[in-house]
Amino acid sequence: MIGERVTRKEDVRFLTGAGRYLADLRPAGLKHAAILRSPVAHARVNGIDTTAAKALPGVVAVFTAADLKEHSRPLSHRLAVPGIRPLEWYCLADEKVRYVGEPLAVVVAESRYVAEDALELIELDLDELDVVTDVRASLGDDGEESAPLLFEEWGDNVFYAGGFANGDFDAAVARADGVLRETIAHHRIVGLPLEGHGACGHFDRTRGELLLYSSNQQPHNLRTVVADVTALPLEKVRVIAPDMGGGFGNKQHFHREELLIAVVATLVPDPVTWSADRSESLTGSVQSRQQEHDVEVAYRSDGRVLGVRTHVIADLGSPTLYFSSIGPALITTSMLPGTYDIEAFEYRLTGVATNKPPMGAYRGFGQPQANFTIERVMDLVADATGVDPADVRRRNMVPDAPRPYFSATGNRYDTPSFHEQMEVLLDELDYPAVRRDQEEARREGRLVGVGLANLVECSTANLFGFCSQFGGYEMASVVVQPNGHVSINCGTKSQGQGHQTIYAQIAADVLTIPMSAIDVSDGDTALLPHGMGTWGSRSATAGGGVVLKGTRQIRDKMTAIAAHMLRVDGEEVELSEGTFSAGAGRVTFAEVAHAAYLQTFLLPPGMDPGLATIASLDPGLADPFPDATGRMNAGSTFSTAAAAAVVEIDAGTGQVVIRSFRIVHDCGTVINPLLLDGQIQGGFAQALGAVLLEEVVHDAQGQPLTSTLLDYLIPSFSDVPRVHTHHREHPSELLGGFRGAGEATTICGPSAIANAVHDALGPLGVRVLQTNLSSRSIREMIRSAGVKPDPFARALAS
Amino acid sequence: MREIALLVNGEPVSVEVDPREHLADVLRDRLGLTGTHKACEQGACGACTVHLDGTPVLSCLLFAVQADNRSVTTVEGVGTTEDLAPIQRALSERHGLQCGFCTPGMIMQALDVVGRANGGLTPERVRHEMSGNLCRCTGYVSIVDAVLDAAAESSSVAAVPDNEPTQAEVSG
Ligand code: FES
Ligand code: FES
Repeated sequence: MIGERVTRKEDVRFLTGAGRYLADLRPAGLKHAAILRSPVAHARVNGIDTTAAKALPGVVAVFTAADLKEHSRPLSHRLAVPGIRPLEWYCLADEKVRYVGEPLAVVVAESRYVAEDALELIELDLDELDVVTDVRASLGDDGEESAPLLFEEWGDNVFYAGGFANGDFDAAVARADGVLRETIAHHRIVGLPLEGHGACGHFDRTRGELLLYSSNQQPHNLRTVVADVTALPLEKVRVIAPDMGGGFGNKQHFHREELLIAVVATLVPDPVTWSADRSESLTGSVQSRQQEHDVEVAYRSDGRVLGVRTHVIADLGSPTLYFSSIGPALITTSMLPGTYDIEAFEYRLTGVATNKPPMGAYRGFGQPQANFTIERVMDLVADATGVDPADVRRRNMVPDAPRPYFSATGNRYDTPSFHEQMEVLLDELDYPAVRRDQEEARREGRLVGVGLANLVECSTANLFGFCSQFGGYEMASVVVQPNGHVSINCGTKSQGQGHQTIYAQIAADVLTIPMSAIDVSDGDTALLPHGMGTWGSRSATAGGGVVLKGTRQIRDKMTAIAAHMLRVDGEEVELSEGTFSAGAGRVTFAEVAHAAYLQTFLLPPGMDPGLATIASLDPGLADPFPDATGRMNAGSTFSTAAAAAVVEIDAGTGQVVIRSFRIVHDCGTVINPLLLDGQIQGGFAQALGAVLLEEVVHDAQGQPLTSTLLDYLIPSFSDVPRVHTHHREHPSELLGGFRGAGEATTICGPSAIANAVHDALGPLGVRVLQTNLSSRSIREMIRSAGVKPDPFARALAS
Repeated sequence: MREIALLVNGEPVSVEVDPREHLADVLRDRLGLTGTHKACEQGACGACTVHLDGTPVLSCLLFAVQADNRSVTTVEGVGTTEDLAPIQRALSERHGLQCGFCTPGMIMQALDVVGRANGGLTPERVRHEMSGNLCRCTGYVSIVDAVLDAAAESSSVAAVPDNEPTQAEVSG
């Protein structure tokens, strides 16, 4: 079944309205929570008066930080890397609020309507403080007096400071024909799963057990945090992640709100549920990507890059988040060299606190920023030297041998040839023809551009060094039931990726029984001792790998039973189409299962009855921590891609139209091409949104201006063209040969689009140094290049 | 509180509602029909689309009392596990759903688009008529394909070829 385009096992329930998402859960006696959030971006909290709210009929309870402190322990980022500030906070803000949307109080009521009514009756006594929303201002780099401090005890707003050097950048500069110095701005967006996050908790007092449903990508790791915060024994906390309406990294964190619901559930008699409404998810949840990269590039006149030095300034918002808001930026710096062999490579990373919501994970986890900057650098070097962008890439690409190749930052690329991959792309694109068409278009006064991007994607990290208290392994239980049907439970958590289907495909191949006889579940901490959840393109590799391992263990035991039943040696037994056979002897899969439980006298002497295993698999290879030089291999394996975008821009409106987007992609062994194409196409839509449409806007006072889907625009039906995809399969060294597939287009799509936009606007003298390529931004860029009032005429003249 | 009478998926029901309650909440909370999803409650995403007297409406923008004495169809009334409607089958075959959160709204909108198609559906028209429904997972093309398949099945007009490039038409 591996490699086949099978439709999904999970589809029928979603298609008939029978999915069970967080907000669909209705335990008896359910109460509804609503959260009061800070209306200002920075203030000291003098007091919160909840008297009137408590008096409202239908209100069960109201809690503030002061009420919860004795019932909960503080949260922290748990990260012990050098250069990071220690930091603790509570589910609800206590002494200060640091961003608009920070939770201040929670109401529990008979209905959400009543709970929201009660929010309006809570009186806040806040002393407003000066606000800082810009990283340079927060660092005091803008020449202003000192910036307001989010955490006075730090003495500045620097949450994290670190750096790394490989090779001698100054020597590279001395040898170079030219040096580029630019700042590339990565703007703030949100992952925006269509279902916002939410939690529903119930504490069984007689048993001392907390059941927490949560729309979370890592139910087991969430359980650990819930046990810490509630001070309950770990085994008394059960977390269930039900069907999830998307996650994309936004639900990978352990949000204050889900921990709040856990704590509140221990204090009220009935189950309590809370789901983020859209405005809460747009303004008060994690946001992503915002960084500034000051880059210096030493290059030769033939386009060879001799050295890159970067200062990555990450806008963390208020870093009151576990796991830590610095995590994605650490991966940004680690993956900055990309597919290029850059000997002299240095970076500094500064994680800066501002009065905005916490920075967090979003599909790609810091890698889109790394890819964008290095791919922009290649094109800027092409511009500076007059060498074609494809040739600049050829001259700088990591050579084909040896493998593994270790990047400047220590990443261990186990990949096939980047060169060959890009040549396949250029062939399929017919690059010379595209360039000729572009010339033709330019003569007609049209702004057409082509952009390239190469991708190496870190997959299946273990994240000790980024987030602490994690592992890179995965667990799965595999049970053959007495009737020969198979139940698999895995520690990953599908948010729509189709794990039920792909794991069943893998198991069906090993056990040779139909997928319909294989049931796959996930997301329940009671069913498995531990699991790492789904993030970082790890489910096919770690989850698929452990399912492969567990089903093989079971198959081997069944083969031994079958051999005994057939009175032959194990080596003589073959399993195919659900039947064990040796010569003329046959025994079916179901008969062996039956024997294992119900006719145990048929088992080989001394063999334990039953067919169940809990398998665990650590794909290995990824380093848990940096070495003494700061190098660290962040991934167990790496996926690759080469992508090209062709765009046309209307200089009058600034609108970018994507004429084509093509990707040559390699995620190792492909499990299901139908689902893989879905990941590529869906990831592309998010890439397109990230550069052309989406932008989180805060005003100077930190007030969010994008709080609904009417002002935060995600791609719609008419925005997203069909991606041309070519999958190549170079299996990884990991069990199953998988490399991980969820993030390729999200990471390299923005880079390819931006490179195409830059190329299209070249005749106008516009240089693209930012990820925000909305129509408004493009018009501004055209205007600030001094082109007006008729940009068309200028393009024609060039 | 006020009692209203509805015909929900062909079944007559009467239910006590608060006049300020949205139809989406009444369907979900009082009638247990949780297939209708809410993803914005501001009329911007289409996830809550149901049919009111046969016409698609956003149930997050209607008060339940506005549906008094009218007929409401939700995704639960469309097809069953054993007998999926053509659009439901097509969505599965084309992988037009990932997390499934937008899917009920997509189905209710697509039923209307297909129903009015008269054999004249094109990819552009599907994209235009479905444009009030947002999906964060799929990147849309598989949904477009599915709607065209369902339309082709109901009018037995040949389906649009699998890999027909739509870039130019969509974005042009
Ligand atoms: S929930 Fe009704 S349109 Fe979004
Ligand atoms: S399938 Fe997830 S939002 Fe459409």
